[in-house]
Amino acid sequence: MAQNQQTELVVAEGLEKVYSDDGVPVHAVNNVDLTINKGEFTAIVGPSGSGKTTLLNIISGLDTPTNGKVWLNGQPISAMSGKELSDFRRDHIGFIFQAYNLIPVLTVVENIEYIMLLQGVDKQERRDRVNAILKDVGMEGYQDRKPTQLSGGQQQRVAVARAMVSQPSLILADEPTANLDSDTGSRLLEMMRELNHKTNMTFIFSTHDELVIKKARRLVVLKDGKTLEDKEQQPS
Amino acid sequence: MFWLNIKLAWRNLFRNKRRSLIAGTAIGLGLASLIFVDALVIGMTDNMIHSATASFLGEGQIHDENFVDTQATEETINNLDWVVSELEKEDIVQNFTRRTSVMAMISSAANVSSINLVGVNPETEPPLSQVDEALQKGDYFKDENMRDILIGSKLAEILETELNDRVVVTVSQVETGDLSQDMFRVSGIYHFNTPEMDRGMAFIRLKKAQDMLGLGDNVHEIAINFTDNRYGRNDKLPFWDKYSKHGNLAQGWTEILPQLEAALELSQFSTFLVGVILFGVVALGIINTLFMSLYERMFEFGVLRAVGTRPASLAQLIVLEAAALAVISIVLGNIIGLIVTYITAQVGIDYTGIEFAGVTFRTLLYPELKPSQFIFYPFWVFVLTVLVGLYPAISAAKISPARALQKVL
Repeated sequence: MAQNQQTELVVAEGLEKVYSDDGVPVHAVNNVDLTINKGEFTAIVGPSGSGKTTLLNIISGLDTPTNGKVWLNGQPISAMSGKELSDFRRDHIGFIFQAYNLIPVLTVVENIEYIMLLQGVDKQERRDRVNAILKDVGMEGYQDRKPTQLSGGQQQRVAVARAMVSQPSLILADEPTANLDSDTGSRLLEMMRELNHKTNMTFIFSTHDELVIKKARRLVVLKDGKTLEDKEQQPS
Repeated sequence: MFWLNIKLAWRNLFRNKRRSLIAGTAIGLGLASLIFVDALVIGMTDNMIHSATASFLGEGQIHDENFVDTQATEETINNLDWVVSELEKEDIVQNFTRRTSVMAMISSAANVSSINLVGVNPETEPPLSQVDEALQKGDYFKDENMRDILIGSKLAEILETELNDRVVVTVSQVETGDLSQDMFRVSGIYHFNTPEMDRGMAFIRLKKAQDMLGLGDNVHEIAINFTDNRYGRNDKLPFWDKYSKHGNLAQGWTEILPQLEAALELSQFSTFLVGVILFGVVALGIINTLFMSLYERMFEFGVLRAVGTRPASLAQLIVLEAAALAVISIVLGNIIGLIVTYITAQVGIDYTGIEFAGVTFRTLLYPELKPSQFIFYPFWVFVLTVLVGLYPAISAAKISPARALQKVL
């Protein structure tokens, strides 16, 4: 695979994922080729069951493809062991899920610090980075709150902070606005777009939220596990 | 990461306070039961040993080596003067007494019965037997009357005698084998609640017995109490070898009453079995609690794995949660165990009159608290809880992050 490491961050070739839990094979992802360049703000869209989350899971190494390969930063993640994948995700990928992102028994600061603790970042640097990212996501003053003491939008902001604080190459956001009202979702997306501009971190969303679709600069449309459309657009 | 997992485990334990409290109490009750059973068995063991040795046996005995098997009148202790003088010098001997012991016939106006007639020294006997304490009627060799005899309550019923009634005792003399008869006055009736003693024994003065039997100053038995009752159970004590010569045999109570030693071993095995059963029940409770907690937090584990937590670290978290549960349980168990055992140790448990392994409990049974009970059993509860926690921990480590994020196993 000749990957242009200057620009290409994710390269997926011939991805297939077949589930056969009930004995009937179901193609969740069916022969998908995808290249994501560094700094992109991309939305993978499609109706429920179109394979968005499965594709995201395979790209991030959370799931393994039945066929096909994925390279991230030039490294073939499909060939990695479980432990290597854990370390790889820790160092290269930030995750934002639609809800229940945060560890409920940890405070805001502790949640954000968690990945840095896994990475072995020293205490002072952790504190510096946490303070900086809290400022970026507008959550200063909430350091010692537990997730249950925050609104849904605030929790997602903390989740964004946790995803970005370890300075990964890629942020994967699976339906990040699904549990938020439109105003809160809009502000969250605007914040992520600003962070994308500021840091040039790559964002990939899986969504069917019109709000997210409008803000994305590239849309990859899936249907029945296949790429229906892949287009750039002018975000609103 | 280890310290973070400790913090997480401790806080996770209090996420569902009610469930943790119930699980901790269940494990704690198991631990408290173990502490109590152990204290009870120790108390019962001491009580049984005391009942067996203090009633009449003593903690050790010296006989002619043939007397043990034959009970023959002529088999008296050899080199008695040396034995007595040496015993008087022994640091480990608290007190001892000399006795004669022969089979005899006792008859009243109404009936006749065979008995073990024991000659005792009223001055040295009381510390080694409880005949004086077991008297229901009469006195314990109060006057210098050589014709006093103490009989058991059952024997009194058989003979249809009351206090101060006369009975006739017939024995066989040592040298000639001639029968020797003498009349005695029932000066006391005792009740041990032990058929063997209440029905089959009678006590007269040592001097009178020696005269009747023609033994001179010889005796059949020396009963001994030690300064520490553990000496009687120590068959490696040099004491036994020292006095098991010149044709004599010195034995501790474990040899004299092997059935009691066997019963005590059985009690200890019972404690072990109770422990195994309790630990088994506790183990299933822990597994259930941890798996319930694991299933409830499946999505959370998926998030943890997604952000880079290694499977081993997740397993460590579950094991630490089990350890945290163990700590709570141990605190609860030790408190409950201490309170219950302390109260029963103060009040006592009434098993008096109940016979077990040939020994009748004569006093209240007091469980005995030992510091080791609050270290040994909690240690094993902790180890077991952590070991049992490995099962859900390994299951958690094997979770596929993608599936966990779908909340599907």
